[in-house]
Amino acid sequence: MPSEETRERILKVVELGRTVMHYGWIPMIIYMGYTRSSPQPMFIKLISPLA
Amino acid sequence: MASSSDSPEKLGGDDFSHPPTRSPFLSAISPLTSLYGRIAEWRKSLDLPNPGTPENLQKEVKMTHLTNFMFDGARADLSKNLSINPAFQISHSFNLGSQVAAPSYNFGAVYATNSTLLQGSVDHESNVNARMNQGWSETCITKMQAQLSQQVGHSMLQLEQDYQGQDYSLNVKAVNPSPIDLTGIYIGSYFQSVTKNLALGFETMYQRQTPELAELATSYLAKYTGTNKNWIATAQLQPAGILQTTYWQKLSDKVEVAADLQVVAGSQRRDAIATLGAKYDLRMATFRAQLDSTGKVSALLEQRFAPTFAFLVSGEIDHFKNAAKVGVGVMIESSNLTPEEMGMAPPQP
Repeated sequence: MPSEETRERILKVVELGRTVMHYGWIPMIIYMGYTRSSPQPMFIKLISPLA
Repeated sequence: MASSSDSPEKLGGDDFSHPPTRSPFLSAISPLTSLYGRIAEWRKSLDLPNPGTPENLQKEVKMTHLTNFMFDGARADLSKNLSINPAFQISHSFNLGSQVAAPSYNFGAVYATNSTLLQGSVDHESNVNARMNQGWSETCITKMQAQLSQQVGHSMLQLEQDYQGQDYSLNVKAVNPSPIDLTGIYIGSYFQSVTKNLALGFETMYQRQTPELAELATSYLAKYTGTNKNWIATAQLQPAGILQTTYWQKLSDKVEVAADLQVVAGSQRRDAIATLGAKYDLRMATFRAQLDSTGKVSALLEQRFAPTFAFLVSGEIDHFKNAAKVGVGVMIESSNLTPEEMGMAPPQP
């Protein structure tokens, strides 16, 4: 069983990872798709439903 | 065999050969390795098919029934294929006027190469769904699935390792594993083809809510596939007396029917639901109809007017509760690729 201090540290890391993934997941997919697709699409097409 | 492998080693000199301790060890276990080799060969000679995964046990039935496709109110799905290889797709979906769900907006993105799939969606309340599949080889796939929410206690993480052998499937899952005290839900399943038609398996769930309180539950699976693969019967027995049996048959290229019977025979509750459904795949349309023993009759028509434009109508009448639901929807796909690139024939003059 880890000590109280280690537990708190692990909880903090998990919480940070969760927050990073919450805000970073979709931008990461869009970035990967935008940079690697061929031909490279126009950026406005990515975010606007009407373009 | 041992003598023939010994002589080249002696000729080559002791410095470059294997350590001398290893070959007695190998010869000691050689009955075991040869037995394993013989069993593997015998197993290969049986030529049993892969049974599919326990997760996909009822896939054909679920694709035929419209329970997963049913919606009410109005909805619009706009999707854009921005690239084919690697696949990159963006979608916006709007839902409005449903009796059961609040109006919602959902933005989705998919990026896929041959070995990797990345998928994400976010709704207007900033709940994120994330999914990642990484294939290490044809048979070995690692999957990750997560739900991230601002609300406490609504987040979920699932890690999964999938292995598909020649005649078996192996899968291990961990749901919300905590690195501190290893609480969470752990699921392991094994599904093995016994004959060319029959596959048997089990799925064990180990639920550990606190380090003191742990629970083990096993469900058993069976799947019988017709020789021409045009019909499939499955049964799944879950603990607490839940039995789910399904039957699916492909009547022709265009018509599939499926039946599902779920029996709950627990000590507190006794219940059974039967569902009967059919799916018609026409040239430009898909029609699903379903009838179940709770008095619900429902239908869904998906009509494609153009390759990029589809119109959906759904309806459900609950005869026992005297309630009805109606839904209309549009699906629009736009693409900046030419029709040839999308793999379609040029329009007729």
